[in-house]
Amino acid sequence: MAAKQGGAQKGSYRIGLLVPSSNTTVEPEFYRALPVNVTLHTARLFLTEITPEAIFKMVEELEAQSRLLASADVDVVMLGATAPSFLKGLGYDREVIARIEKAAGKPATTTSTALLRALRFLGAKRVVLGSAYDDKVNAIARGFLEANGFKVVAARGLGMVDNLAVGRLGPESAFDLARGVDQADADAMVLACTNWRTMDVIERLERELGKPVVSTSQVSVWDALRMIGYRREIPGYGRLLRSLAAEDLLAAVA
Amino acid sequence: MYGWRGRIGLLVPSINTTMETEFWRTAPPGVSVHTARIAGGRHGTPEELRGMESASKQAAKEVAMVEPDVVVYGCTSGSFFEGPEWNRKISEQLSEITGAPAVTTAGAMAACLIGGGYKKVDVVTPYVEVTNERLKQFLKAHGVEVVTLGTFDMLDMFDHAKIEPGEIYRKVREITTPKAEAVFVACTQLRALEVLDRLERDLGKPVYSAVQASAWQAYQAMGVDPGIADCGSLLRNLSEPGVTEARGKDRKPA
Repeated sequence: MAAKQGGAQKGSYRIGLLVPSSNTTVEPEFYRALPVNVTLHTARLFLTEITPEAIFKMVEELEAQSRLLASADVDVVMLGATAPSFLKGLGYDREVIARIEKAAGKPATTTSTALLRALRFLGAKRVVLGSAYDDKVNAIARGFLEANGFKVVAARGLGMVDNLAVGRLGPESAFDLARGVDQADADAMVLACTNWRTMDVIERLERELGKPVVSTSQVSVWDALRMIGYRREIPGYGRLLRSLAAEDLLAAVA
Repeated sequence: MYGWRGRIGLLVPSINTTMETEFWRTAPPGVSVHTARIAGGRHGTPEELRGMESASKQAAKEVAMVEPDVVVYGCTSGSFFEGPEWNRKISEQLSEITGAPAVTTAGAMAACLIGGGYKKVDVVTPYVEVTNERLKQFLKAHGVEVVTLGTFDMLDMFDHAKIEPGEIYRKVREITTPKAEAVFVACTQLRALEVLDRLERDLGKPVYSAVQASAWQAYQAMGVDPGIADCGSLLRNLSEPGVTEARGKDRKPA
């Protein structure tokens, strides 16, 4: 989608966010990072467990909830959920985007799409994956990244299935896991699951690890803002959100 | 976990773009807002307003999964249209589904006016005539007389958000008379929150709004003092000891 003329500074913009119903993290993490002229409007998709079966059921509601967001005339729809946008592997995020765009009549993106774009934008080739997931879902995440051309040099998950319990974890859990799983030869750290609190620790992790850290909440904010044409840096949440002012570079991502 | 002081489950008509924004604007540290959308039309016809009652049950099931401390039904006309009993029914249903205390905007409107001891009020709405009549009847049933009602007279509920805060300020100034002890600005889609303080200063009487009254009841239900100083006396008074229990009509806005 082309940026609106003049960028977002001149107007106000609405981001439509689809979240799994049991997610308690992504709305606060969006709100703290969003500039004042961009507002967030949420619709919920039923999900209790991060299992393939529960997620497939959740995705059935995509069209109905996308239409509710369209009625609020949002400028972009973001499926702010990681596993539901990579579950069937290569190209699945595109399939989900097509469904949302058809139902909503608005440009759409997903967390997984945003993750791929962010890694390409940062020039990362070899990544480390830290997630809240159990081995089964973590393996699917790894497969999705590798099918999209990234080498996953190490991966570790917290082994969690209960989504509400993920939301109860403090930000130190992401910090600790990232430090434990990092590899010197990786050029970016990926922290996956939008219900996992990461925004507080990205900046500190980047300093400690000496490489870009992307989390699924952060890339979701970044891609939604990029798509509405917002072109100012957002400080405090890592290199990626500061990069929003780099208009020329961002144009290459789309 | 986000929302460690309190998690608000907010149900808004799908077309609403104001209430989430104003709730987040007033949320203090430790309070999070989690939204689900109520399916329905954008024209506020009697059929649409009645349909929101059943549609709100679905939205409540979605937001129940964040285990909210309070659930808010964020629509004024959608809660007063069929009278006090209907409003009570909506409130009880939502409470039963979510396991949390429920606040409806119409209930909050009546409660803040009754709590202040106000018997004669002016009201500003965006509604058409049939809806305005129902609003008057609802307040009459609670012992509150509408002296003057000023309306923007717009059927399209989405467009209610396009009315600028300054226009709301001027409408209140234009219609209110000394006979009214207080003014209420109805409709959670009207961006009244940011002009309430100015209106109270300039008129020397309380001016409340639909979003503000809903937030006021939600914070009372959670037992959280939001410490909100700049969104009118109703919310500011929550921070004064004893005020939430017994607010007298002799209390002037600060």
